[in-house]
Amino acid sequence: MDYPKLIATVPAAKWPELVDALIDAILTTKKDDKMPPNLANTILHEWQLDTLETEEGLIALLEASVLLEPEKTLATADALQLVEVAQEIKPLIPPKPPQPS
Amino acid sequence: MVKFGIEFVPREPHWKIIYYAIQAERGGFSNLWITDHFNNRNVYVTLTAAAIYTNKITFGPGVTNPYMVNPVFTAQALASLNELAPGRVALGMGAGDKTTLESVGVAMQKPLTAVSEAIEIFRKITSGEAVVYKGEVFSTAGAKFLFKPRSRIPVYVGAQGPKMLEMAGRIGDGVLINACHPKDVEYAVTCVKEGVRQAHKKLEDVDVAAYTSFSVHEDIKKATKAAVPVVAFIVAGSPPQLLERHGIDVKKAEEIKEALKANDWGKAFSGVTPEMVSAFSVCGTPDTCTERIAELLKLGISQFVVGSPIGANIRAAITLISEKIVPRFKA
Repeated sequence: MDYPKLIATVPAAKWPELVDALIDAILTTKKDDKMPPNLANTILHEWQLDTLETEEGLIALLEASVLLEPEKTLATADALQLVEVAQEIKPLIPPKPPQPS
Repeated sequence: MVKFGIEFVPREPHWKIIYYAIQAERGGFSNLWITDHFNNRNVYVTLTAAAIYTNKITFGPGVTNPYMVNPVFTAQALASLNELAPGRVALGMGAGDKTTLESVGVAMQKPLTAVSEAIEIFRKITSGEAVVYKGEVFSTAGAKFLFKPRSRIPVYVGAQGPKMLEMAGRIGDGVLINACHPKDVEYAVTCVKEGVRQAHKKLEDVDVAAYTSFSVHEDIKKATKAAVPVVAFIVAGSPPQLLERHGIDVKKAEEIKEALKANDWGKAFSGVTPEMVSAFSVCGTPDTCTERIAELLKLGISQFVVGSPIGANIRAAITLISEKIVPRFKA
């Protein structure tokens, strides 16, 4: 997935809300083992510099959120009407098993 | 002025803990404590990350014990951390948890002596001395670092029982009191004061920290829901006299213990009463938590440590504490 290209489609006015939702998804995930160490380090570095709410910060957060919590990330993209982001994430979500009738 | 500390358990990966640590540092916390149990991730790996990613918060193991790790290795780890973050390192040393020690076949022998001797060795070797020491539990025959340790590292004694609390007052730069309720804290501070008196010090010379189980939320039901599992475990591990001091039915506590043993979480957690939550946690809205902290401060506490669970959502809880609690004590 081309994360820089996707983040470029997000209006700057939506960055604070997006950052907040992505951080929440990442920190509350139970799928810790899916976090690549270099990506974790990038996020911590951006957080240390207080630059998560920048293009670089958002790219790292979106990548981590998609890897760890694709469903939540899709819900966030839908809620914020980030059409291009949602379109890219949708194929990553496995179809739900049919409900027993 | 009161200091605020925060405790994390490295059952969580380092990146989550360090995210919260940076947030806490910005929010006015001055101390970061990481617990040390062999069955979680290694405490010093998390602390190394803390040294790299934070700028001013003081951090250390809260607490380690001298049985699992020989004091010279604890000293080596802390002295090395003190090179990464000079002047920001503190040692928390206690006797450890009997159940955990027994699970690896380590006996908790002479806990007072072991902790006291370990601290003595720690202080000598981190001051650059070649340590010749013959104690009842530990001995060294000229142990010395091959590097020059930096500044002096303060030592906090993790304590709960009266003798350990007294010793903490006597030999510690600080004490980490494992208590939340004013009744328990008042008793603990009295013991610490006795140790301070014996050492001809002033209470202000010792950083007296209440190491609490803490849960904050604007909705008290959500704060309580988060606190209940932690309280259940505390109740199950508490001696009868402590339960009785808080008017808690020992039989009910026994039932919780049995349910936990059987992994029957529903039964265990539903057995937790409001009295138990009040006795073994600081839990509620920012206002009610502030009141409880203020009460503890009057008893002689100089550091308030928020420990597990902190809140239903840790990030949101740290924000609440930073915005609605800490400023009330900094004014």
